[in-house]
Amino acid sequence: MMRLPAIPLAARLPIVSAAILGLVGLVASQAVMGALVEMQNRHLRETLTARIDALALALGPAVLREDVWETFDILDRASGAGGRLPTLRSTVADRTGTVIASSHPDTDPVGAQLAPAIDAAVPVADLSVSGKAAAVSVAAPLLYQGQQVGILVSRVDLSALLAERRATRATLLAGNAVAILLLGGIGYALIRRGLRPVAVLSTHLSGMGDDPQPVPERAFPRDRELARLFFTYNRMVDAVRDRAETDRRIAERERYVSLGRLSSSLAHEINNPLGGLMNAVDTLRHYKDRPDVAGPAIDLLDRGLRHLRDVTRAALQTHRGDHAAAPLSAADFEDLRMLIEPEIGRRAQRLDWRLGEIPEERGGLPAGPVRQIALNLLLNASEGAGAGGVVCFAAREEAGALRLCVCDTGPGLPASAVARLLSDVPPVNGGGFGLRLVRDLTTGLGGAIDHARRDGRTEIRIVLPLREEA
Amino acid sequence: MDRPRQSARRKLLRGFLGVAAGLAAPAIVRAEGPTFRFGLTPVFLNTDAELLARLRGWLEGTLGRSVRFVQRRTYREITNLALVGDLDAAWICGYPWLANRAALALVAVPLWRGRPLYRSYLIERAGGAAEDLSDLRGTTHAFSDPDSNSGFLVTVSDIISLGHEPEGYFSRTFFTYGHRNVVRAVGSGLAQSGSVDGYVWEALAATEPDLPAATRIVARSEWMGHPPVVCPRAREGTSEITALRRALLSMSDDPDGRAALGLLQLDGFVPGRENLFDPIARRMALLDRAE
Repeated sequence: MMRLPAIPLAARLPIVSAAILGLVGLVASQAVMGALVEMQNRHLRETLTARIDALALALGPAVLREDVWETFDILDRASGAGGRLPTLRSTVADRTGTVIASSHPDTDPVGAQLAPAIDAAVPVADLSVSGKAAAVSVAAPLLYQGQQVGILVSRVDLSALLAERRATRATLLAGNAVAILLLGGIGYALIRRGLRPVAVLSTHLSGMGDDPQPVPERAFPRDRELARLFFTYNRMVDAVRDRAETDRRIAERERYVSLGRLSSSLAHEINNPLGGLMNAVDTLRHYKDRPDVAGPAIDLLDRGLRHLRDVTRAALQTHRGDHAAAPLSAADFEDLRMLIEPEIGRRAQRLDWRLGEIPEERGGLPAGPVRQIALNLLLNASEGAGAGGVVCFAAREEAGALRLCVCDTGPGLPASAVARLLSDVPPVNGGGFGLRLVRDLTTGLGGAIDHARRDGRTEIRIVLPLREEA
Repeated sequence: MDRPRQSARRKLLRGFLGVAAGLAAPAIVRAEGPTFRFGLTPVFLNTDAELLARLRGWLEGTLGRSVRFVQRRTYREITNLALVGDLDAAWICGYPWLANRAALALVAVPLWRGRPLYRSYLIERAGGAAEDLSDLRGTTHAFSDPDSNSGFLVTVSDIISLGHEPEGYFSRTFFTYGHRNVVRAVGSGLAQSGSVDGYVWEALAATEPDLPAATRIVARSEWMGHPPVVCPRAREGTSEITALRRALLSMSDDPDGRAALGLLQLDGFVPGRENLFDPIARRMALLDRAE
């Protein structure tokens, strides 16, 4: 079905009002026309009854004597009179239907048979102005001293009544049209004026880049209720801005929180080999002349220092801004593994790590947000799995999307955490901002999040569509 | 029909003004003697109120007494009123005068176009092609009055002269009781033919030209004595009749009289002689023989 173009509210209301007005006008006009028709019919019957009665009174003796001239003279003088209902022709016949005289002898000559005209005529009581017939023939018996002496057939001109009807109809139509146009126009102007504050609100609401803008106080309407609405709107804009700023700060903080959480593990990770490295240094100091002892010590020192370098690099890349926009690669996931393993080890957990085909520098996905998503989910899974639990991670490219799956054997996410992950409900004070950050980053990359609990595991799946590079 | 009606209305209005003037002026003279009763028949355009007002104004001024015009629908009624003495004088047709010549005396005869004569017209509707009376046989015919010479006697006697019975010669006849009405009846088509006073037909041509224009003259009769003013023989020679005759004969000398004559489209009155009416008498004799 073809959809009509949307009509602005300022025009729609006047159009609806005009349509209702037109409908009411139409009904009222019909009622007026009905009353006019009824009045005209009554007027027609009353006038013709009176006229025929008067004619019968004058014609009676002449018709009784079958006086051709006197009958003609009376009819002739009566014809043409009648104001808005002029008599076009009147003919008098005797009781057998033979014409005595007519005001128009050419049409009804003396002595002719009037029966066909009598049959075609309408009794006055049944008379009505209908259709477009501009004239009507009426028949009435001529009574004299209580006896019927003849019959009168009159043809009456109805054109004045029809013209009056047409004029009334035209006046009603014109009046309705003027009223509809006038009131519709006034309605449009009033509604447009009334909706002006709404337009101001709409403009500021859509604002620059969908960022709601406050309405300056000088633009507030004078109407108190509307002014209160503007005031409330401005407060809402402030609240939205505050919330956006808060969210930004929380996200920033969350990055450092996750870093902080990692730092103890990292310290442990650095501290553990440090003892071995110090021993290797002592060994080298004491047995620098014995290559059989110094060689393994040097190898141990080399491995330890490399490990420390890798750990440090992974931590730096996770939190360094200039790496955030770099394309994602498999190395990023290896860095993540290196970062999370100390935390896994600390909790005596088992990490099930499945890395599928990750095309190097493909898909246009930035490394920073994806690493942050995976790291937050892994940290959350490690915390949820508890001591001795299992944390699993899978990443692969499939059907033009990068699919991440993080699961744990913990008791599952509380409902508030699920809400933060899957919806836009505001975060409750006290934490859980990591999951909200996951949601915000995923949404920002045009991805989708799915949460499931099956076989005693909590699964969170992230699907990030790959963007083909030019 | 509208123009004659409007014209009639204007004349009626003028007539009312004239009547008002006439009533105001002779208020004193009217008290000097008994009212003079003057009978009028439709031998002339008796529907014109202005004419009647003028005529009365002149007559009252001349006779020095109030005048009452008595009008009836038929010639017969006026003739009868004159015969029983309820009228001092009457303007009637030559036919009823001749029929009652023993009781009614001639006072004066009008002059029309310089002669005390007029004639009857046989008319049909304009556009007709009848050449004479025989072409009108079987039509609906309008007569003026059964006691009218030009509006009845002439045509009936002509039918007899043609060797036909008057009854049934026309398919249907009716009387209109007025020469103007005959013209109306024929002009409107109510009747296909009619018998009318030639003087009235010609006078109408000047005052209401549409009426005679709707008709056509088929035949004209011979000249006959114009409808005369008569009085009961018992009043012949009385001072009021003498005054009336003198007034009529000098009517053209008086400004008011001339104005009235102008409306009547007559030239004046002459004493007249009985032989003026011989053609009518001959037609009467023809009718009597047929009966």
